[in-house]
Amino acid sequence: MSKKIWLLAIIVFLLMLIVPFFGIIPIHWQTIFKNNSNSFVFWQLRVPRTILGFIAGAILALSGLVCQNLFKNDLATPDLLGISSGAAAGAVLALKFNIVVSFAGMGGLVLFSYLGALASVLFILLISRVVRRTSLYTFLMSGVALNFFFSAWIVFLQYLFDFSNTFSLLRWLLGGISVVGYHEIIFLSGLLLVFLLALFIFKSEFLLVAAGDHFALSRGLHVHNFRIYSFIGLAFIVGAVVSICGPIGFIALIVPHIARLWGKSHYGKTVFLSLVLGGGFLVVADFLARTLLSPVEVPVGIITSLIGAPFFLAMIIAQLKKAE
Amino acid sequence: MIQVANLSYAIGRKPILQKMDFSIAQNDFFLIFGPNGAGKSTLLKLLAGILPVQGGEIFIGAKSISRYSKKELASQVAYLPQFDEFNLPLLVRDILMAGRYPYGSFFKKYSRQDHEMFEKTVERFALADYIDRNIQTLSGGERKKVLLASAFIQDVPIILLDEPLNFLDPASAAQVVTMLKEMHEQGKTILLVSHLLQYFFPQANKMLALKNGETRYVGAKKFSAQLFQDVYHVSVKQFFIGNKEFIQFDE
Repeated sequence: MSKKIWLLAIIVFLLMLIVPFFGIIPIHWQTIFKNNSNSFVFWQLRVPRTILGFIAGAILALSGLVCQNLFKNDLATPDLLGISSGAAAGAVLALKFNIVVSFAGMGGLVLFSYLGALASVLFILLISRVVRRTSLYTFLMSGVALNFFFSAWIVFLQYLFDFSNTFSLLRWLLGGISVVGYHEIIFLSGLLLVFLLALFIFKSEFLLVAAGDHFALSRGLHVHNFRIYSFIGLAFIVGAVVSICGPIGFIALIVPHIARLWGKSHYGKTVFLSLVLGGGFLVVADFLARTLLSPVEVPVGIITSLIGAPFFLAMIIAQLKKAE
Repeated sequence: MIQVANLSYAIGRKPILQKMDFSIAQNDFFLIFGPNGAGKSTLLKLLAGILPVQGGEIFIGAKSISRYSKKELASQVAYLPQFDEFNLPLLVRDILMAGRYPYGSFFKKYSRQDHEMFEKTVERFALADYIDRNIQTLSGGERKKVLLASAFIQDVPIILLDEPLNFLDPASAAQVVTMLKEMHEQGKTILLVSHLLQYFFPQANKMLALKNGETRYVGAKKFSAQLFQDVYHVSVKQFFIGNKEFIQFDE
């Protein structure tokens, strides 16, 4: 791995060390080991939030990378395809109806997010079955439809139960990080480890699908099955992140794009860069969300979307020009 | 080696291939030609296991193609598509190594033998300067060369090629023709779709003429002006310089 990439990793790590000291109340480093309200804010709110930001950003970026490989296109990401908003709709459903179920140690929130993400994935697979010669634009258009549908569903449920709570609404529409303690972090970091392991075990398979269906098939990969299993796994990963952070947009689009560029398309480097950049990006975005309008806090999804949407537009224009 | 019996294929109600019968022996150079839309590419995709057999049978060795696992088939047959579909940035190195995928297992994807084969291929196709480059930054001719190398590294007895000279300038085309000739001489069985009869007709020993999904001729190679007239509506001439055979299309 080249020096520049390690340097980047160190910078992100240092940023994560500094960021928790800033916020509505600045915290002096000498106070964090004393038993007072500042040390509670520091250790139970800001540090977990920073770690969660890193892990969630990393998972989102990697899920984008996988999704792009599965669709063989760098515009295909879980948020643009409507998988994230499906997960958010599932989460809101579980929350508002107070559904208390538990399966394999996972609560109703995670489970329903997963089901929502899975519903979107099944819908996408169904479309590719019904419409022959599906292009990326078929999927993006169906993603637009799914995003509208699930957003309307989330807003509807919000009005039904608690129309005065706009922050909760924004969180499930745009995404936001706020946690107390480390419970979610343990769960998500376990998931991130499994995800990374899968990315290395199935390296050859992911490279084969990225090269195209015929290419992969004629090298002995059962593309169809691999894609379906990957989608089921991806839905779970996206569902898990969204159940905790909401559908934070555009990280899955921007970060893998830059990671491919900087990693010179090298698989290992691209994965590592997606991890570091995705995590770093969300940590910085969340820092901005906490401090820009201080003492008001905006959901971090607003920041990522403000940066991401123009980026997305530029990428679409570049692709269309290339296709001409 | 390959036995095709009563093979038919249709998309919806539209027949693409109708009742094809032919057989190919080891080390045959089998040339498939015919006008656009004749069903040549479909035939190759069926033989490569990319399209499922609908009617009739394809036998490779003693076994029906539908009974092969994907990996098993990929260790018998390599397929070079007419157009590559590389839509994401990928390293030439990874594209080549993918050719060794059929020989790996779940836990050990690549062995020492795979890496040796990689070195050998890189040397043979003079790709040393390309292996760490993104395939998308290569020219059409370079991409074709990489694809040909990725079929070579698969190290299989049967190679299927769909219009391997498309988009190539004359120098690259001549290079590819030479490489194919060498592979044939080393004992590979080659099935090749091409309009460019002037390049491949002399090398072939069997041929298949297709039109509208129907076989117009299949069997030992023979020059027939009438057949070319029937298939392509142009006249083709054969001539010899020394004992070297040449084919020429008339304007």
